[in-house]
Amino acid sequence: MRIAAGVDVGSTQTKAVIMSDNGGVKVLARTLVDTGANVQRAAERAFDTCCQKAGIHSGDVGFVVGTGYGRYKIAFGNTQMTEITCHAKGASFLCPGTRTVIDMGGQDSKAISVGANGEVLDFVMNDKCAAGTGRFLANSAEVMGISLDEVGPLSLKAQHPVKIATVCTVFVESDILSYLAQGKTGEDILGGVHIAIAKRTLSLARRLNIAPEITMTGGVARNVGMVRALEEVLGCKMLVSPDAQYIGAVGAALFALEKLDQSFESGIWRRDHAVSGGH
Amino acid sequence: MLFERTFDHCSDLHFTSVCEWKQVHPGSKVIAYFPVYAPVELIHAASMLPVGLSGAGDRLDIQHADARFGSFICSIVKTTLEMGLVGHLAPFDGLLFSTICDSARNLCFVMKRNFPQMYVDFLHLPHNPSSPAAAQFLAEEYRRILAQLERLGGRKVDDEDLRHSIAFYNRNRALIRELYQLRTQAPHQVPTSELYQLIRLGNFLPVEEHTVQLETALADFRSRSAKLRDSIRIVVEGSFCEQPPPTLIRLVEDAGCYIVDDDFVIGQSWFEGDVPTEGDPLLALADSYLNRSVYSSVRHDFRKPRWDGLVDKVRRNRADAVLFLIAKFCEPAYFDYVPYKQELERAGIPHLQLEFEEKLFTFDRLRTEIETFVESLVFD
Amino acid sequence: MIDKKEYRGSIHQRQKDLMLAWYEQLDQAASTGSPATVSMLISGNCVELLEGFGAVPLYPEVNALQLAIRHQSLDPILAAEDLGYAADNCAYVKADIGCMVKKITPTGGKLPTPTLILCNFVGCNTYLKWFEHLAKLQQAPLYVIDVPFMRADEPSRSDVEYVVKQLQETVRKLEQFTGSNFDYDRFCQAVACSSRTEELWSQIKHLARRSPSPFDAYFDAITLMGPLYVYRARPEGVEFFEAALAELQAKADARKGVYEQEHFRLVMEGPPPYPYFRTFRDMFAKWQACAVASTYSTVGGLWEFGFRHDPANPFESVAMHMIAQNVTNRNFLQRYEQIRRYVEEWNADGVIIHFVKSCRLFSAGQGDMRDYLTKQLGVPTLYIESDLEDPRYFAEAQTKNRIDAFFEALEHSKTTATARGLA
Repeated sequence: MRIAAGVDVGSTQTKAVIMSDNGGVKVLARTLVDTGANVQRAAERAFDTCCQKAGIHSGDVGFVVGTGYGRYKIAFGNTQMTEITCHAKGASFLCPGTRTVIDMGGQDSKAISVGANGEVLDFVMNDKCAAGTGRFLANSAEVMGISLDEVGPLSLKAQHPVKIATVCTVFVESDILSYLAQGKTGEDILGGVHIAIAKRTLSLARRLNIAPEITMTGGVARNVGMVRALEEVLGCKMLVSPDAQYIGAVGAALFALEKLDQSFESGIWRRDHAVSGGH
Repeated sequence: MLFERTFDHCSDLHFTSVCEWKQVHPGSKVIAYFPVYAPVELIHAASMLPVGLSGAGDRLDIQHADARFGSFICSIVKTTLEMGLVGHLAPFDGLLFSTICDSARNLCFVMKRNFPQMYVDFLHLPHNPSSPAAAQFLAEEYRRILAQLERLGGRKVDDEDLRHSIAFYNRNRALIRELYQLRTQAPHQVPTSELYQLIRLGNFLPVEEHTVQLETALADFRSRSAKLRDSIRIVVEGSFCEQPPPTLIRLVEDAGCYIVDDDFVIGQSWFEGDVPTEGDPLLALADSYLNRSVYSSVRHDFRKPRWDGLVDKVRRNRADAVLFLIAKFCEPAYFDYVPYKQELERAGIPHLQLEFEEKLFTFDRLRTEIETFVESLVFD
Repeated sequence: MIDKKEYRGSIHQRQKDLMLAWYEQLDQAASTGSPATVSMLISGNCVELLEGFGAVPLYPEVNALQLAIRHQSLDPILAAEDLGYAADNCAYVKADIGCMVKKITPTGGKLPTPTLILCNFVGCNTYLKWFEHLAKLQQAPLYVIDVPFMRADEPSRSDVEYVVKQLQETVRKLEQFTGSNFDYDRFCQAVACSSRTEELWSQIKHLARRSPSPFDAYFDAITLMGPLYVYRARPEGVEFFEAALAELQAKADARKGVYEQEHFRLVMEGPPPYPYFRTFRDMFAKWQACAVASTYSTVGGLWEFGFRHDPANPFESVAMHMIAQNVTNRNFLQRYEQIRRYVEEWNADGVIIHFVKSCRLFSAGQGDMRDYLTKQLGVPTLYIESDLEDPRYFAEAQTKNRIDAFFEALEHSKTTATARGLA
């Protein structure tokens, strides 16, 4: 039995997943911790906690792949891979039939065109501004004095969603204040905000060939309002795994498992990758 | 009321009036043109309808054009492409661009790729008007475009047709000049929020019809008895391509300004006087472009730098200040702002710079800035 | 650890010497008023004409890029923004104007007020505004050569005549401002030199078709471009490119590439992020990815497809170069075609589109270019964003992430293809 792990160090949260291929590939355990200021510590905590949950020793893990923005800081990792590659892999595994991934995280958003074997065919990223990311929602929530968990459900109750013209997270604040002053309801404002984000995200995604199944991943996938807004703008249903946040870590773990399977020839392993610090 | 109708016209993404014209003139072609200036006389002489595009204002969500044109690009480039991608440009048989800026020029060729069934062309307007060779070159360029229109329309266009069309547009432009002069003399009688819609209507209507509208409006404005308010007189500069939302124009007036001159939709009143209707008409148009055009951020003529033109404009219109209304990401306007600002400061003319986008839904920030500016001038 | 090789042949040093010598001439002109200097823009420049007066070109663009490469561009940019230039104005212009305002130069030497500010308008509207502002600032005379844009596949007779007439007007202006007569023979010799230099440069560009390519046709080509636009029309230029060709030919014959193993062959579109030139290069070196062709290196002229200046028709061929044989005056769809040819004829694995905030000529519509490359041609394409001059717009981690993801996918597809016997 081979046991492998994937660790996804995101800007806000770190996820660890341990998988095995004993009688079929499956997830043994998954953990999520806040990343905080010390990336290395967060990765270690997530991994150790995950091992405990899986009821194994860390030494039992044959291979560890790190991913996410902090992937070079995972000292115990054997190698690292971008979260784009891992998201495609993870989404394909958890949501079979995935051909497009829409990932909305805390700090960035991306769309990935995925092949039949979970390989990346093409991708687009918005990693330079908050438009279309969790940050945009968090800011809006703050301006309105609402908790982030409430924004999604509230947005579903919009009767007449307001028009948000800007995608700049700074300027949208004054737009929201303006609408509040005009007496618009919180539901309508949030409805407008969600639609604006959905449109912006899909605008980016349209650089690819958007093909079903469309799978949503990332922290924002837990926002029911966002899922609905995206589906409305897309005009079709999306797949959302209950493990949406772990998809990157799952993908990383799957690659780690492949590495342990000597008979499997995957292009990723043609060369030796430098371990952490090589950037 | 006349002006409510015009607003609907100007923002009609289905170009209903254009479709109606096509029904009344079966088989006739419609040629759209991107700002700022287009030789509409050529299109008219070929018995076609010239239609000025002005982006989609706040009526269209950019859902597809963003994938082709990314950040740091003005909205009008994206909304124009978006209109094409969602089918709104179907009534048009041709699309004409010219040398105004790099983004618009690239748009021309992106349109060419994405709409191969349309006649898409790029007019090279001269940037060296001091060269004796420029007039001949431009006349040749007009001849080239005309040949394409002839091919499209299946009919030859002769000099008489051209002179005829020039005369129509001369009359139209003369009326616009009169309206602007009336506004300068009696701004209380000619609200810009109304005048603007009227001029912009010229983008859609056949010139003959538009001229009638202008004549009617001129009489109407003259007969008005409005009270002269204690507003400051301003020149608005920078809105020559992407247009500000009409709400913004009203807001400027409500904040205590009389707009006594502007460069809104300036392509329509491009010439300082009549284009000659004797001699070679294409040469007459070319010569007028080179030597009798108003200054603009999209036209290069260093014989008289356009910052001198702005100062002249302010003095001629007895304006108190200049309001730069610049479309976000409009590179020509951003560049010109620097020498404009320097010369205005040298001449002791107050000014304010504001950025807008054609799609704006909240105006609080802009209102505050304009009101503050007006107050600073009034309570000096 | 991948050995990040840099092009360090003897030609690298020679290139540096030549550029320093040029700056020295400019410093001399600033002090003594001689030789005459003419400000021009790199793309579609008519440096041959200047040879007829013994005048030296002054290139504000080179000023700007030198500042960026030496990490000195931010201060002048900020100085320009204080004057009122927008955050979204081309940073090349801001850096150049800013450094004039702050009275600094990239090398520390003096730069002269030009005898003539000659704006060779080849499509870039920013060029026009820039030179207008320079004329106002430096109080030097301005002349614009209006070069008709490539709106059809070939220039028309009328286009060529118009430019030739303006070139002749330029000659008269230069006679007026320098007080010297135009030396027509020297001009023809200069055109002949250019023709020779272009032939050599074209051969160098074609060496990159070999596998492995002996040089990086983006990073190294940009470095080699300097002598192309300063010395193209002079014997020093010919000598330089003869030596460069010999050195690269030897490398190619010995099958020596830029890296130990050439893993990926790329076409690069767009200018580089000059303030992060080395860092950016390292991101590709890590994957042993070598550029075999680039569009930006044809700003200095498009020579690889056969065009040469013709000393038998000097004015006409100078006009033709300015109209049709530089990347900026060619239309957007012609650039797609240029990239397509590179991918096919230079045998590339993918295209990198580098969107730069400052330059709308290069960047406006690159999303459509991406659409063409990926959906119509099926070529793997990566889209990255930063700026060519302003150091504030480079997100290192994000850029590296995109590049890594792109090569991870490319590597995977290459190996799968090999495994299936397709490569």
